[in-house]
Amino acid sequence: MILGLRLPVALAALAAAVAAVVIAVFNWKGAPVTGQTFLVTTYIGLFLGALWAMYATGLVVVYTTTGVFNFAQGAIGVFAAFLYWELHVNRGWHSVLALVVVVGMFAPTLGVLLDIVIMRRLRTASLVVQLMVTVAIMVLLLSVVGDIWEADTARRVPYLFGIENGIDLGPSQLPWHRLIVFLVAVAIAVAMRYLLRRTRIGTAMRAVVDNRELAALNGARPNVVSSTSWALGSMLGALGGILIAPELGLDPATLNNVVIIAFAAAAFGALRNLPMAVVGAMLIGLLRAHTGAWLDFGPDYRFAHLAIAPLLLLFVVIALPQARLEVGRLAHNLRRHERFTKWWEGLIGCGVIILVAVALSGGWLDFGVWDPGAWGSRELNSANEAMALALIGLSLVPLIGWAGQINFAPLAFAGFGAFVYLKLAGDTGNGYWIPLVGLLCAPLGALVALPAARLRGLYLALMTMAFAQAMSLIFFPHSWVLPTIGVGRQFPHIEMFGVTFDDRRGFFLLIVSVFAVFVFGLVLLRRSRYGRRWMAVNDSQAASATLGIPVVWTKVVVYALSAAMAGIAGVFWATVSGNVDSVQGFDLLIGFNIVLLVAAAGVSIPVAGIFLIFIPLFTGLGHRLEDTGNVDFLVTLLDITTTYGPGMLVLGMVFNPRGAIFEMGRGFSPMLPWRGDARAEIAAENAQKREPEIGELGIERPFTPEEVVALDRRLGILDDVVPKEGYGAARS
Amino acid sequence: MALLEAERVVMRFGGVVALDDASVDVGPGEVTGLIGPNGAGKTTLFNVITGLLAPTSGTVRFDGADITRKSVAQRSQLGVARTFQKLEAFNSLSAFDNVRVSVEQNHRSKWRHRRVSEVAHEMLGKVGLGDVADVTVGTLPTGSARLVELARALACRPRVLLLDEPSSGLNEEETSSVGEMLLELVADEGNDLAVLLVEHDMSFVMGVCARIHVLDFGKVIAVGTPLEVQSDAAVRAAYLGGDEFRGAYAGADG
Repeated sequence: MILGLRLPVALAALAAAVAAVVIAVFNWKGAPVTGQTFLVTTYIGLFLGALWAMYATGLVVVYTTTGVFNFAQGAIGVFAAFLYWELHVNRGWHSVLALVVVVGMFAPTLGVLLDIVIMRRLRTASLVVQLMVTVAIMVLLLSVVGDIWEADTARRVPYLFGIENGIDLGPSQLPWHRLIVFLVAVAIAVAMRYLLRRTRIGTAMRAVVDNRELAALNGARPNVVSSTSWALGSMLGALGGILIAPELGLDPATLNNVVIIAFAAAAFGALRNLPMAVVGAMLIGLLRAHTGAWLDFGPDYRFAHLAIAPLLLLFVVIALPQARLEVGRLAHNLRRHERFTKWWEGLIGCGVIILVAVALSGGWLDFGVWDPGAWGSRELNSANEAMALALIGLSLVPLIGWAGQINFAPLAFAGFGAFVYLKLAGDTGNGYWIPLVGLLCAPLGALVALPAARLRGLYLALMTMAFAQAMSLIFFPHSWVLPTIGVGRQFPHIEMFGVTFDDRRGFFLLIVSVFAVFVFGLVLLRRSRYGRRWMAVNDSQAASATLGIPVVWTKVVVYALSAAMAGIAGVFWATVSGNVDSVQGFDLLIGFNIVLLVAAAGVSIPVAGIFLIFIPLFTGLGHRLEDTGNVDFLVTLLDITTTYGPGMLVLGMVFNPRGAIFEMGRGFSPMLPWRGDARAEIAAENAQKREPEIGELGIERPFTPEEVVALDRRLGILDDVVPKEGYGAARS
Repeated sequence: MALLEAERVVMRFGGVVALDDASVDVGPGEVTGLIGPNGAGKTTLFNVITGLLAPTSGTVRFDGADITRKSVAQRSQLGVARTFQKLEAFNSLSAFDNVRVSVEQNHRSKWRHRRVSEVAHEMLGKVGLGDVADVTVGTLPTGSARLVELARALACRPRVLLLDEPSSGLNEEETSSVGEMLLELVADEGNDLAVLLVEHDMSFVMGVCARIHVLDFGKVIAVGTPLEVQSDAAVRAAYLGGDEFRGAYAGADG
């Protein structure tokens, strides 16, 4: 213990402090430090911190009371900000009225609806499903915003309390708006703390998340409690969005990204400690303001000051103590038999995939394209993009599907893979380097997972998001990493087996073959001792540990594998997109969409990756439809499908957590001649649904229904007196 | 000499004292019972012994060595295996694969694939689940899933086996066959096995245990043979209630 801190915390804090000092010294801008500028910078920092604290408060309140970490918190803010703009600016309502309508009526309604329709059903769902669904809500909300308020108009949300007047501080002034926002944020945090700790509903809220049944027996009403939490969380998100919009501008992506800072702040309070979360938010605000004022990172690290939140999250994750292995929390019982694909089935499946690809690219088959004929270059390009995305998606199968660990950074790993390939193969495009790319990406995956694998799964999810953001802010913009020389294709064509894959058709066959090899490898892996062990760790970490399985290490290994696969996929992705610049680590929505689509497809099944084909395929189809003309409604339909599809699919996970491919396979497999087991299972299920015949269970009824009616009449027993369930029910 | 000893273990959760200076020892070649009313701290003691919980104070010794600071997996590698009161079976794997994961972990690569399968099948056969080897455990009834956990623990080649209410969910016949199997296992000198058994089925406990520890409110209130324990006044008080007994006991003790 050093200064009351545990040793790892103290060491991490020391390392962070040293790093901060070194960074500060080397990047000192040289601006004169005066009391005035220092003061001004500080209050800007505190004001920013207060805004983030509001988001973080909402996150913590919802998490401590429902156990769901709401990735959609930022998106709620975005929606509210746009709605506020619509009412106040566009329709000219008074600001107070608009504020009351949005924060006081719309937001709580949205929260309660979310709770009733979706969140309540997620109580016993796995972490993967919970996170995926909140991310899906985020994506859907953002899509709705994008559809209603199209990006072509410039919009501005005015400051609520005026920015011109304020307390005079010599050369600058502290505007009322910022002062009031700061005070409101602090007041809200204090009020929430009081609500959770000191009031009856607060106690009930915290009790319900620990043991719903027990709390209900003690008089808490779990449904009321969770609806209250979601209403509160949603209101805080909405208020935060409206207050932060004047500062950041009314752009959905920018506004939504605020939530990552709130995640870091919430993590600073270990996701449950409200005061610490507020402190974390203030800390990030101060660091941001002061680095902006005093430091200059140069052109290569021009976004570095934005990476403070992800770095803080990393620090928190390293410093947190190892989580206890939980016992007695196994929620679900499977209702269905789990069957693993046999190796020869995998082989046949992969053969089919390649054959279809050959037929498609050769123009012998016509899928989803109106006029028959060979695939044009545009279709091939779409297909190549699709396959590259599908490859990236495959990397998530062992990780999310089997080991149950979440990764929101597949694109960051893919980008890193592209970078490694560019450095290794240079201009030659020598394809034999690709396996080495995988080997070099694996350690990165392990490194990202190592600190967070000791903790609960949620931290891994947050950690990967932070990693992805840090990569895109610090690593990828560096001129040495991805040099941008001119425009156009900069990734060399892949050369392998004496062939240069320079035309789209050849490349398509190559990428499909790689996909098939990956799928087959996964089929084998799932049947191997490693696949078994990963699934065991996913099912019960505590039990795995008591069998001697090193749980943390196992998770790290899966991460390394996933990163290696994503890295290799990244090479193909970069080659398809051609332009080096397009390999950005973190496009929030694309990254999320990949994860969502794979999850919705049924992430435990290797071919799930193929679902990703829908993104570019739809785009390609859209072009085709536009060309043929007169199908406007189809284009619109397609637009809606591409925008809302992934989110809607994932919402389906609430009811069908195993994914679409699983259900499809369930319908399809009984048709396969060798799948007698599937037929037997369907038959058994149908038999269960059927009402047993009289006599079948050894029970005989002495009277036929007609005789019963006749007897009733004779005895004068009226139908409406006798309950339909039978006499037993009447007696009890 | 005792193979496994928990010495003066104290476990506090905030203000709640789950284990209060509890000492338990388990000898090789016998089944030791651990009984007590609900909430006495039996499962907590199991969690402390297997490393899922770090005790507030006290020591856990295995074969003379202090293992209090060792991780769950390390203890398992030394030979501490357990089952769980609330099931922790691998629900998405088949019964056979549940056991196979354990065999693969604990027999290393010395054995080839076929040998692993043989051992796994043997373990499943031992608990009488040969017929459902390929059934996904999540679809099995609770009693069978419990037996899968038992087979999985046996596949660790344990030297100390901690069983947390193995009979719940089993019918009388299955319970007695589990009892017989336990007695056979510990009687086999080659196994050098010690069993610590938490159980509510008294006839089962009294039938198989050589010695019994009785826990009440986190304290060990009696140790002895089944006969001694049954006639112990403090045990009767703990089980049947009655403050006068408890008062008398506390007086005698203090």
